Amino acid sequence: MTATEPALLSVTEVAAAIASKKISSREATQSCLDRVARFQPRLNAYMAIEADAALAAADAADKELAQGKTRGPLHGVPMAHKDMYYEAGKVSTCGSKIRKDFVAATTSTAIARLQNAGTVRLGTLQMSEFAYGPTGHNAHYGAVHNPWHVDHVTGGSSSGSGSAVAARLTFAALGSDTGGSIRMPAHFCGVSGLKTTVGLVSRAGAMPLSQSLDTVGPLARTAVDCALLTQLMAGGDAADPTTRNAPAPDLVSPTKENIKGLRIGIPSAFYVDHLDSDVARVLDETAKTLASEGVTVVRVTLPDQSRLTAASQLLLAVEAAAFHKKWMIERPGDYGPQVLMRLQNGLAVPAITYLETLRWRGPALAAHLEAVSGVDAVLAPVAPVPAPTIADSDIGNKTGAEAVIQNLTRFTRPINYLGLPALAIPAGFSARGLPIGLQLIGRPFEEAMVLRIGAAFQRATDFHTRAPRLS
Amino acid sequence: MSDPAEAPTADEIEKIAGVARVPVTNGVAQRIAASIGPAFVGFAPMSGTLPFDLEPANFVSVQNKTAK
Repeated sequence: MTATEPALLSVTEVAAAIASKKISSREATQSCLDRVARFQPRLNAYMAIEADAALAAADAADKELAQGKTRGPLHGVPMAHKDMYYEAGKVSTCGSKIRKDFVAATTSTAIARLQNAGTVRLGTLQMSEFAYGPTGHNAHYGAVHNPWHVDHVTGGSSSGSGSAVAARLTFAALGSDTGGSIRMPAHFCGVSGLKTTVGLVSRAGAMPLSQSLDTVGPLARTAVDCALLTQLMAGGDAADPTTRNAPAPDLVSPTKENIKGLRIGIPSAFYVDHLDSDVARVLDETAKTLASEGVTVVRVTLPDQSRLTAASQLLLAVEAAAFHKKWMIERPGDYGPQVLMRLQNGLAVPAITYLETLRWRGPALAAHLEAVSGVDAVLAPVAPVPAPTIADSDIGNKTGAEAVIQNLTRFTRPINYLGLPALAIPAGFSARGLPIGLQLIGRPFEEAMVLRIGAAFQRATDFHTRAPRLS
Repeated sequence: MSDPAEAPTADEIEKIAGVARVPVTNGVAQRIAASIGPAFVGFAPMSGTLPFDLEPANFVSVQNKTAK
């Protein structure tokens, strides 16, 4: 890795460099492809690499720029995304054997909006099968490897997104977050990741897992990059009526503001219980850094989070099983054992219990908002531990597997149930050199606040600039 | 599952899955019961306590009421 590699720039930096013709889209694209060629064999982050098509698209972008034409703020910026965002005429495997040859007929709204902003497609990224796994294992395509320690997991389900962004194999990547699938890879791989409010970004053309919990969001090097990408994707969409019918908010401008005078709450229980010592240390150090930036850090008492986790688990189990019923009957042998096991869990939930979990969401959200009324955001760990090893977390369908999964995701699931925005940011490292991320949790549709805090924290620290040493 | 705190038993799950036309063996049903059971226990304090007149779309209402 050298300081002159364009692939080391952030999205914001490379977009500006291309727009000002300091570098070409071809140079940026070739830089990413060179790193993909070097590191893909060790990381398994990409599902498909489309080098020739990417370079042709980059050349077209450069030609347009030479003619004075620009498509948008991401003109000529190459990217790859989680292989569950449909693009017309392209294969979307969804990390599965069942869909290994599935060719999408339409393009997802999120991808279309990024393309309209000028992005160039590099290929597609690995993921947990059908986005139903928090570790990064995949029974069909192999585990994705953490670029900080290749024998450790990336987190999932946006495993390829986390690994590829951290290793500088793409400038940014879309992930999806139903139970922590953006925040977990961001935490384990040392990158920034934004789980958006349910209803902010259209899910049209994105593979479904749970219609109540699924959210679309980016993984990138910085909070500012996450703000830019989300701003470009957000806003109403006739193809997904569950998207809030409001204009896309300005998320980039607030990232330039300081955070003096804000109040941040650290939960007094649950999120601080049974933490790995390195995670606890990073939480303390982050609170001190924020305080030095003028933030008042206080303790907040939240409603019982374990009930939210349970409700989230029941809700997700049923909705995932319903989406997969046809294949569970016709092709059960084509699922990986862990994914089939988790899908079968949904069979045990009576309809009345499922509907109760849906009905409780409003009162639970109201109670949460009352509890956090005195703070601008909540700061909490993403997970109680840094990335475990691939071997230790290869649980398959063993007895107790679900308990392992639930422990890894116990700090992320409540946020999905409440539908809140949460920004995961790199905040330190373990004694072994594994990244540790924390999540800033906001109010509904107030992504701007968590992005503002995240950007200010990143101006005060350098964790987000550190890259894994891959040789 | 007479008590809301109780998770469904393997025998009950085997029957429910059959009704859903996704049959499972009793062995799989036992694994499911062990796996999803804690979620039933965790949600039990809320089960059967929600107000009769709670608006079904209450979640979106709360979201939008608080959004700036």
